[in-house]
Amino acid sequence: MFDKLFPPKKIVLPGGKIVLQKRSRTPLVVLILAACTVLSAQFTGFSFPMLFKRIHEFFTIILKMIPPDWSSLSDIWSPLLDTIKMSLLGSIIGALIALPVAVAASSNIVQSRIIVILSKAVLSLLRTLPTLVSALIATFVFGLGSMAGTVAIMLFTISYVGKLVYEQIENVDMGAFEAMESLGMTRLEAFRFAVLPQVLPGYISTSLYCFEGNVRYAAILGLVGAGGIGLLINEGLGWRDYPAVGMIILVLIVTVYIIERISEHFRKKLI
Amino acid sequence: MIQFMNVTKTYTNGTTALNNINLEIKQGEFVAVIGLSGAGKSTLIRCINRIHDISSGTLLVDDVDVSKLKGKHIRKFRRRIGMIFQSFNLVTRTTVINNVLVSLVPGLPLWRKLTGIFQKEHKIIALEALDKVGILDKAFVRVDQLSGGQQQRVALARTLAQNPDIILADEPIASLDPVTARIVMDDFKKINKDMNISVIMNIHHVEIALEYADRIIGIRKGEVVFDGETSQVTQEILEDIYGGKWEAEKAAMEEQAAYVR
Amino acid sequence: MNSIEQQLAAAPRNKLYLGTIAAIVAALFVWSMTAVNFNQIEQNSLKIAKNIVYGLTHPDTQLLFNVSKQSVLYLLLETVAIAFLGTIVGAVLAVPLAFLAASNIVPKPVSWLTRLLLIIIRTVPSLVYGLMLIRVTGPGAFAGVLTVGITSIGMLAKLYVDAIEELDTRVLESMTSVGCTTFEKIRFGIIPQLLSIFLSVMIYRFDMNMREASVLGLVSAGGIGAPLIFAMRSYKWDQVGSILIGLVVLILIIEFFSNKVRAKLVRG
Repeated sequence: MFDKLFPPKKIVLPGGKIVLQKRSRTPLVVLILAACTVLSAQFTGFSFPMLFKRIHEFFTIILKMIPPDWSSLSDIWSPLLDTIKMSLLGSIIGALIALPVAVAASSNIVQSRIIVILSKAVLSLLRTLPTLVSALIATFVFGLGSMAGTVAIMLFTISYVGKLVYEQIENVDMGAFEAMESLGMTRLEAFRFAVLPQVLPGYISTSLYCFEGNVRYAAILGLVGAGGIGLLINEGLGWRDYPAVGMIILVLIVTVYIIERISEHFRKKLI
Repeated sequence: MIQFMNVTKTYTNGTTALNNINLEIKQGEFVAVIGLSGAGKSTLIRCINRIHDISSGTLLVDDVDVSKLKGKHIRKFRRRIGMIFQSFNLVTRTTVINNVLVSLVPGLPLWRKLTGIFQKEHKIIALEALDKVGILDKAFVRVDQLSGGQQQRVALARTLAQNPDIILADEPIASLDPVTARIVMDDFKKINKDMNISVIMNIHHVEIALEYADRIIGIRKGEVVFDGETSQVTQEILEDIYGGKWEAEKAAMEEQAAYVR
Repeated sequence: MNSIEQQLAAAPRNKLYLGTIAAIVAALFVWSMTAVNFNQIEQNSLKIAKNIVYGLTHPDTQLLFNVSKQSVLYLLLETVAIAFLGTIVGAVLAVPLAFLAASNIVPKPVSWLTRLLLIIIRTVPSLVYGLMLIRVTGPGAFAGVLTVGITSIGMLAKLYVDAIEELDTRVLESMTSVGCTTFEKIRFGIIPQLLSIFLSVMIYRFDMNMREASVLGLVSAGGIGAPLIFAMRSYKWDQVGSILIGLVVLILIIEFFSNKVRAKLVRG
């Protein structure tokens, strides 16, 4: 299509040979991207003058957060622990549910095409739903509090771990599976002994990685009333109590860092 | 005893892999199936343990009609038949002994199947099987650290632990170098003679087939074109099985052998 | 004692290690259960759930397809615009940070400090930026763009750094031998190597930013999030249904195309 609109350029070498050079698509791509940028900027009311005139406000807020309000530390512990508990529980349950779903979505294990397509569709639908939206919906069903947050995190974990694990299962070497079937195992047993040992390290590593991310997500779920430290952040910013917010962010950074280190230690061991 | 009676196998895409096969293989025979790639050797072997279904005819193993078996009975039937593959088909991420223990799984209670915790007696069975193929010392090594020959012997041990009456082998030495190939073939021969286990083997290396097997079955385009004792095989018969391509096959094999030496 | 029993006795024992880890995980699991209050599930939870499902399956088609400023289509367009422009802002801001964090370009302390800064930027939740930035620009899509931009920096810079640290420097050596200036080396030696990876990373992030932008409405930073929440708060589940269906379809379409384009970029 593109080559018909812009026919390739002919270059005649001194020797009389003709070389056809395809037109570069870069100018067109750049043009489209530039047009999109300009349109988006108009659409969203992006303006540099306003940005430069008022961006100092942003840094003023940040500066107000330093030094953080150490006295508020005692109020942070309980919601922080709630946040960790929410993400831990949601991650564990989600990862446990994700495994059977991933198996059901693997076309090389499950023979029924309908089940495979259905499981894949459920996983990708769950994945498109932003965590905050599912948390919001969960607050209506389970009431305000950490239960809603846990459910939202669980749903996200199922979709994320489920997708990566079924991709792994579908790429597994099926020779061992065939061997196990030939020695009289059911497909499920053959999966347990031929495929699971191959995907287990990847599955655990993916789940750990997902848990790392979930701690971050869990921190904002409080903004929609789904429990955890987010509520405190919202209040702090609402009251313009920036030193307290600074304290929360500091604690959050340290917590996330520690959890990432621990999880990374185990993930490296798995490879 | 394995009996093929007018067995025909047609794949869903219409190709006929086996055409009117009639064979009788007695307990304890060492049979080599030879022929060009795509002649139907693999299909022949895989019909015996019902990895493939036959389209028509009757296939009896010890007077059991294989094509009539269903679900649980197929799996029970397969317990008696070991299978060895060209690419070993082991779980490479785990230890040798775990790969052998797998063949004891179907008889275990559910909780052991789920957790993969085995009894001491089972471990001893597995270790004995490893001892028979001479790699007892590698029992707790991860499979991906073994050579190809050692891996194929792990697969053999896995089959032995299953205590089969018949071993089906699909190109067991095709991925091995000539020296290891012979070691593995010696193992097959020993198992065949000492334990009276029938061995039915697809094999590409005619020279080795003639040296080890009691009986040769030649397949061309899904039909049996030769069936007889190894001593009866002549140059003309090989020409017939390989449809005039025998010289080329032989030259290729010799070249490969020379390269390794 | 024969050789088989000897081997059996020689089996490596990692049961203690695995057992300890299993026990720790189990303990953590039980501990985290204490955060959840199961008796919060009220009698009418089921009824609400039923209403939600009914609304989601019977969307308000009028809201979905009309062309006013409150329609789903218009709001989705705004969300895409926020995500797109935000990605561009983040991508631009991430470039200098990435070079400052690459250990093969700058001295160690500088790279370490930049990395620390990136960790901090990455850990602060997006909605916190959103709440802070509305103080700068006032509520609206502009704040959304800046929020998405800043939130993207962390991941973009991290992936940029990986690409920069894997740069093939042998090309530069040969360019020096031809007599190229530093500028020429960057233009013809480095940019071609990085551009396609950077673009691929950007497209990936754009994909994620769609989800990010769709919840910014919570802090009134534009996009489809605000009407979604209003509809929920007023229990208009048919409207929620139409908004979510539009959002999900849009995200799936964008994901499909971004995967295609990225596959093309990788193949070159």
